[in-house]
Amino acid sequence: MRKYVVVLMSFFLFAFVEKESLFTVPANFSQPVYDFSKNPLTEHKVLLGRILFYEPMLSKSNTISCESCHSPFSAFTHIDHTLSHGIHDSIGTRNAPALMNLAWQKSFMWDGAVNNLDMQALAPIAHPGEMGSTIIEVVAKLNATEKYRKLFYNAFGDSTATGEKTLKAISQFMLTFISANSKYDKVMRKELVFTEQEAKGYLLFKKNCSSCHTEPLFTNGNFENNGLSRDSALNDLGRMKVTKQAIDSLKFKVPSLRNIEYSYPYMHDGRFKKLSEVLNHYTSGIHQTNTLAPQLNNGIVLTSNEKVDIINFLLTLSDKEFVFNPKYHYPK
Amino acid sequence: MKISFVVAFKSIPIVLHDSTYLHEDGSGLKFETLKFYISNVQLLQNDVAVFIEQNSFHLIDISDASSQNIILKQNKQINFNKVRFKLGIDSITNVSGAMGGDLDPTKGMYWAWQSGYINFKMEGACSSCLLPKYDFEFHLGGYQYPFNALQQIELKTISKNNFNIVLDINQFFTAVGLSKQKQIMSPCDDAVKLSSQLANCFSVK
Repeated sequence: MRKYVVVLMSFFLFAFVEKESLFTVPANFSQPVYDFSKNPLTEHKVLLGRILFYEPMLSKSNTISCESCHSPFSAFTHIDHTLSHGIHDSIGTRNAPALMNLAWQKSFMWDGAVNNLDMQALAPIAHPGEMGSTIIEVVAKLNATEKYRKLFYNAFGDSTATGEKTLKAISQFMLTFISANSKYDKVMRKELVFTEQEAKGYLLFKKNCSSCHTEPLFTNGNFENNGLSRDSALNDLGRMKVTKQAIDSLKFKVPSLRNIEYSYPYMHDGRFKKLSEVLNHYTSGIHQTNTLAPQLNNGIVLTSNEKVDIINFLLTLSDKEFVFNPKYHYPK
Repeated sequence: MKISFVVAFKSIPIVLHDSTYLHEDGSGLKFETLKFYISNVQLLQNDVAVFIEQNSFHLIDISDASSQNIILKQNKQINFNKVRFKLGIDSITNVSGAMGGDLDPTKGMYWAWQSGYINFKMEGACSSCLLPKYDFEFHLGGYQYPFNALQQIELKTISKNNFNIVLDINQFFTAVGLSKQKQIMSPCDDAVKLSSQLANCFSVK
């Protein structure tokens, strides 16, 4: 009997370890919102998703992949580009967001137009200024490629690509983008300590920023108007485009601040290149409109030294292990 | 047990692409795409459900004859005098991620730029739709308050055996008025209004 129990326990342990290598909930995180029961991670599916993430066939002209605008080295965003680029050198209307900890994200896109990670890839695939294709065309191309027939067979036991399988595989790879090994995380786990300046910055951050940029994800996942003046050329009303409700005018998803050092420029339209510009916006650049987040009614009051302290704290959110992890890089 | 959907103009089954159908206001109509979701099919006897189809999602597409028949898997003879179904996809399914079969996004019934199924898609040309082209496009859907376009339909049945459900598009165009409205591409008030008008155009024959 005892032997049987031991065998059984080691089986469970093995199963657990096996699963852990693909997706582990970090100790300081809550349970994810993504429903893994509908799309359990496997090595072959994650690999297929990774290959698809780097696949330019996802675009009409076979030139743009997901990675074109979401490079692992910048926490999966497009650094130095204010607005995203697409096929035929077209330029989009929004700044490609950084991708990480997506299993905890309730909605996707700056305006929350996408309700499930699985469906996210449909938007850039179909956007005429991004990939300019359709999922129908993409699946047809994959089915016509011997390499993908093998990969789909390995992943799903059936060599035929479908929209469902293609999207679920891309989700699987993106679900592995877990960033939870920054200095901040190590301090929270009591493995490291903040410098005096970082600690000061952390206190200021908690007092002034954390109602929206809530720990440990550094976003509350909600939509807020953070007082940016409206860009008359883009005329982007944000969340209102989705809900068609005036109370959502000029509201955009609160982005995570993790890896912010790597993911410049900032804001939905990439208008700020430096963190100091972002802080100056919150202290002296708030544009008053009806839907402004109430916390920002009078701006945030910070001395210039305090701004430097906050920036020092924000740099502790950089997760080098995440950004340079070879498991996210171009599949050989 | 089989339910067959017939998409008709007055009493004539619609054929895509070539045929022109004459509406009573004088417009000539041609159809390029006409497909819609039927879900949650139930049979009722005196308002009590006697058969509830499991995993009940059907894309009825008039370019594919086999899609127009719904085979209900039940063996014993049951008595029923009503059929109940939904026109469109419920909100839980709309937020549940990627799905296969008739719900696969390659069926062309899922919005790319904003999550959600298109419950009903009809595209074509109309001689009275002058600008910018002679086109009409109805992409009706939306699952979120206040633009939930899902419709529940109940129809009395006359036979215990196989029966037809007819969707009369002529009736829809009469209710809508083609000169006013011919492009709906996103969840909105009009999509909800048109969906409820469309729900009135089904009948058992």
